[in-house]
Amino acid sequence: MSHAPRPGDPAPALELPDLTGRPTSLAAARGRPVLVTFLRHAG
Amino acid sequence: MKVRDGWHRWDEIGAVALFVVFDDPDLVRRTLLRDIDVEALPFPVLVDRERATYRDWGLIRARWWGIWLDPNVYRVYWRLLRSGERLNVAGVDVLQLGGDFVVGSDGRVRYARPQHRDDRPAVGALLRTAREDPHRPAG
Repeated sequence: MSHAPRPGDPAPALELPDLTGRPTSLAAARGRPVLVTFLRHAG
Repeated sequence: MKVRDGWHRWDEIGAVALFVVFDDPDLVRRTLLRDIDVEALPFPVLVDRERATYRDWGLIRARWWGIWLDPNVYRVYWRLLRSGERLNVAGVDVLQLGGDFVVGSDGRVRYARPQHRDDRPAVGALLRTAREDPHRPAG
């Protein structure tokens, strides 16, 4: 289990498909601030 | 924080928002994104069925007593029910925790708040962090 990154740490990689199957990555947004929100269950 | 709320504010400051879910995409469409045209979403909702990315970002599963013995959970659920929300917990992992992070335009984490219970930061705090990014493109 990794530890959650702390302020100042390089962001871990994030590359996943979206709901339509298109691959999307955090790296593609480099140069802009990015909010990354991991949600709990959808129900 | 609901996915559907406030995303225009991120666009206004030149920021991007990425939302990550781990549930089955069909369930996400039926619940979290019901009444929303997924194709028209301004920000992507990413799917991590194996939760490998959750683990990479240090997000844990709660102990059951950390969730079900927390009075705040019942207050949140009661508020949701009163506002007409439907709760659909069958078949989903209610113990998996989420988290909120703001990554600066230099690729470094500027804000990190992994969940320990059913808590979320104020949207204003997240927006402020993104707005104060010294490398942020003028927008």
